[in-house]
Amino acid sequence: MKRRSLLLSGTAVGGALLVGWSVLPPRSRLGHAASWPPAKDEVALNGWIKIAGDGAVVLAMNRSEMGQGVHTALAMLAAEELDVPLERVRLQQAGHDAIFGSAESFVGFLPFHADDREPGQESLTFRGARWMTLKLARELGINITGGSASVADAWGPLRLAAATARARLLGVASLRWKLPVAELEVRDGVVSHASGPRTHYGELAEQAALSPPGDVTLRPASAWRVIGRPAQRIDLAPKSDGRAVFGLDVRLPGLVYADVLHAPMIGGSLATVDVDAALKRPGVERVVRLPPLGGAPAAIAVIGRSTWHARDAARQLQVQWREPPSGPLDSKRIEAALEAAARDAAEHDKGFGFHSRGDSAAALAAASQRVEALYRAPYLAHATMEPMNCTALVRDGRVEVWAPTQVPGLARDAAARVAGVDPNAVTVNVTYLGGGFGRRLEVDFVAQAVRVAQETAGRPVQLCWSREEDFMHDFYRPAGVALLRAGFDAGGHLSVIEARSAGDALEPRWMARAMPALSGPVDAPDKTTVEGLYDLPYAVPNQRIAHVATRSGVPIGNWRSVGHSHNAFFAESFIDELAHAAKVDPVKFRLDLLPQRPRHAAVLTLAAQKAGWGQPPPAGRARGVALHESFGTIVAQVVEVSLGPDKRPRVHRVVCALDCGVVVHPQGVAQQVESSVIFGLSAALWGRIDIDGGVVRQKNFPDYPLLTLAQTPLIETHTVASDGPPTGMGEPALPPVAPALANALFALTGRRLRELPLAPLVA
Amino acid sequence: MNLTINERSVAIDDAQTDPRMPLLWVLRDVLQMTGTKYGCGVAACGACTVHVDGAAVRSCVTPLSSLAGKSVRTIEGLVGAAGVHPLQQAWVEHQVPQCGYCQSGMLMAAAALLESNRDPSDADIDAAITNLCRCGSYPRVRVAIKAAARQLAQRRRAAPSR
Repeated sequence: MKRRSLLLSGTAVGGALLVGWSVLPPRSRLGHAASWPPAKDEVALNGWIKIAGDGAVVLAMNRSEMGQGVHTALAMLAAEELDVPLERVRLQQAGHDAIFGSAESFVGFLPFHADDREPGQESLTFRGARWMTLKLARELGINITGGSASVADAWGPLRLAAATARARLLGVASLRWKLPVAELEVRDGVVSHASGPRTHYGELAEQAALSPPGDVTLRPASAWRVIGRPAQRIDLAPKSDGRAVFGLDVRLPGLVYADVLHAPMIGGSLATVDVDAALKRPGVERVVRLPPLGGAPAAIAVIGRSTWHARDAARQLQVQWREPPSGPLDSKRIEAALEAAARDAAEHDKGFGFHSRGDSAAALAAASQRVEALYRAPYLAHATMEPMNCTALVRDGRVEVWAPTQVPGLARDAAARVAGVDPNAVTVNVTYLGGGFGRRLEVDFVAQAVRVAQETAGRPVQLCWSREEDFMHDFYRPAGVALLRAGFDAGGHLSVIEARSAGDALEPRWMARAMPALSGPVDAPDKTTVEGLYDLPYAVPNQRIAHVATRSGVPIGNWRSVGHSHNAFFAESFIDELAHAAKVDPVKFRLDLLPQRPRHAAVLTLAAQKAGWGQPPPAGRARGVALHESFGTIVAQVVEVSLGPDKRPRVHRVVCALDCGVVVHPQGVAQQVESSVIFGLSAALWGRIDIDGGVVRQKNFPDYPLLTLAQTPLIETHTVASDGPPTGMGEPALPPVAPALANALFALTGRRLRELPLAPLVA
Repeated sequence: MNLTINERSVAIDDAQTDPRMPLLWVLRDVLQMTGTKYGCGVAACGACTVHVDGAAVRSCVTPLSSLAGKSVRTIEGLVGAAGVHPLQQAWVEHQVPQCGYCQSGMLMAAAALLESNRDPSDADIDAAITNLCRCGSYPRVRVAIKAAARQLAQRRRAAPSR
């Protein structure tokens, strides 16, 4: 496939995004005051900002809070431009207006090499494709909290909306007092002039709504009072006293509860069910058969007086499930097939070429030293602490949904499809999310809840999956295999890298579930299959990176950091192998390959320096390093590990350096580093989902160990100062963890571990 | 039956419950006290941690029938007469929660620890806090428990009679 068609398929991620783009009208990203629902004592100044009677700022919150701190970070942007303290910003869930749609997440789907998109040196093709994608994405207005893009997306429009609102408010004060705007001062929402007059936003808002904004300028970085300064997250108090409302905490008059049992075998279906015994249990109301919905398999829901009553009755169901026509899946067999596909692709140069430069075949043939290695990664579950759930009410042709969702608009569409109503007849209330990590980009649990609510005679129902159902019916991080090859020329320089990987493409499948109108072929080239592998930052003159899209049949989805989660392990472990093959220090080896990447070099150097790289580690320990860019953020980590008396790896310290552009919320950045490192260590040490006889073997936390407090290392965060626009932070510190740990274990034991998870290989 | 929850006697409608029903679901679905969370149902994750007679227990495996005459304390009762618990203060000050779903259980486990151990060491914290957190709040949990212990010690010094 030629570059152009690659771009198109990447831009669309399988779809119809391109239709009609040339006739799109220009649209203000500030939106209109009229798009807010009417409210007493509040005046809307645009689609993002309202002013309350007491002068407080009301911000339309378009992103879901799932722990990543986005509510705080976005409120900080508004507080900055409007000159109010953070606690004077109130949040109201944004509506479905296109101004709240995601744009940067879609740019993130573009399969551009890092050489094309390095900030300040973007290629013309990239700039064009980026422009087109942003325009398309904004027209589509699909609101996704994902792709670590929320702050990047808000950086332009939200600040501009807030600054515009401020300009209008000041304009009114200026008119009223007949004093120039430039002489007015604003502190904490109070507008004043040295000569005496004083008022607050609440007194100016009504008139401001009718006035033009005049000149609008964003506050320069040198004058920031909120951005980059310490701030307390705004969701801490309710999350420390039990008041925070997650999806499962929605309580409504007349609420009934539903448990759900899916066909245990992946792809299975329902043959017969005998409900008599279940219906005899106390507190049970009825049993509902659910067809496959939103990607979830066929299932049975039991409605009861409480979640426990429903679940107790569900255990009494006598169900005959049917195997899928293709037979039961087996993850060992799948992994063997992926390995065969990767080897075949390497041998016959097959697969979709995501990046080629120079002549890799010739360079390999001419190499004086060659290295080849096969790497593997297993399926993984999201395991959010709050299991999948949704509360729904279907009454009088309208649907109301309360959902912990990363995609409120897609949830609305899914609810409308199930109920057979117009999306405008659906209200989606986004609760706090008890973890998301990509699992809540799906709409299966929403579709199911709405289907069950059709059977409860106008009463609301809360559908709650058991932990077992949550583990067994996830959309897993896909398994992947990569065969990597490299060669050094006669001068000892790394002259060639090749990678052939195999695995299922996930974004086309996700789109088919979440936005069926835009879906395309399931094995369309998917950038996520190779992200972090095809766009290495290293200067290697000959490269060929190709991927074979397979059809394994396991439900797969977006798992925190998506393709980077395994590709960083492949790439950065292999680079470490090359450093050792070349007998060069792993940090120096990387730095020597980064002459054109000063930002990467700076991040790596900072991590090495803070970790004491080059000085001997404490007795019994060894260090490993990895460098990886994802979601626009460059991260380097140094992991310090030892082996316990039981031969189990013990991670003591993780030093993390990063460049994420402007840091909006410093503690938020540190918190996301800790979060990603711990999430990444659970996966790197023990994470795996096995499918045996068609059934997922890991059914609850005891089968799927997560890092505990006692096992948590010291984690340090160091940021490189930057004045670039902010980039992602919810995911980028995850990918380097596994390779840095594997590289540390190599330094410690001399054994190269090329498969995840690592702990079973060491013991 | 009657249950003592957060120092109040609460009547539980026998017709709405079952002796086998775990305390977790009584709290959440019968009494609408949703601060206590469901995470795993097998006492593995600790999201449902409450106190029964002062000890941290996992309410998802604590049947109603076992609670006669016992005193239950939940996250809703952690705020005392003196205002928020020093742990809650430390939780905010050290920015512990992320998604926050596991934090009720985390706090109740920490509160039980501080009631039996005024000055917990790292090893004590490791042993007592076995709750799972998917967001990785652990480093801050450790720091906040120590900060709360210091705060409690200060209070005791200021009011030695208590």
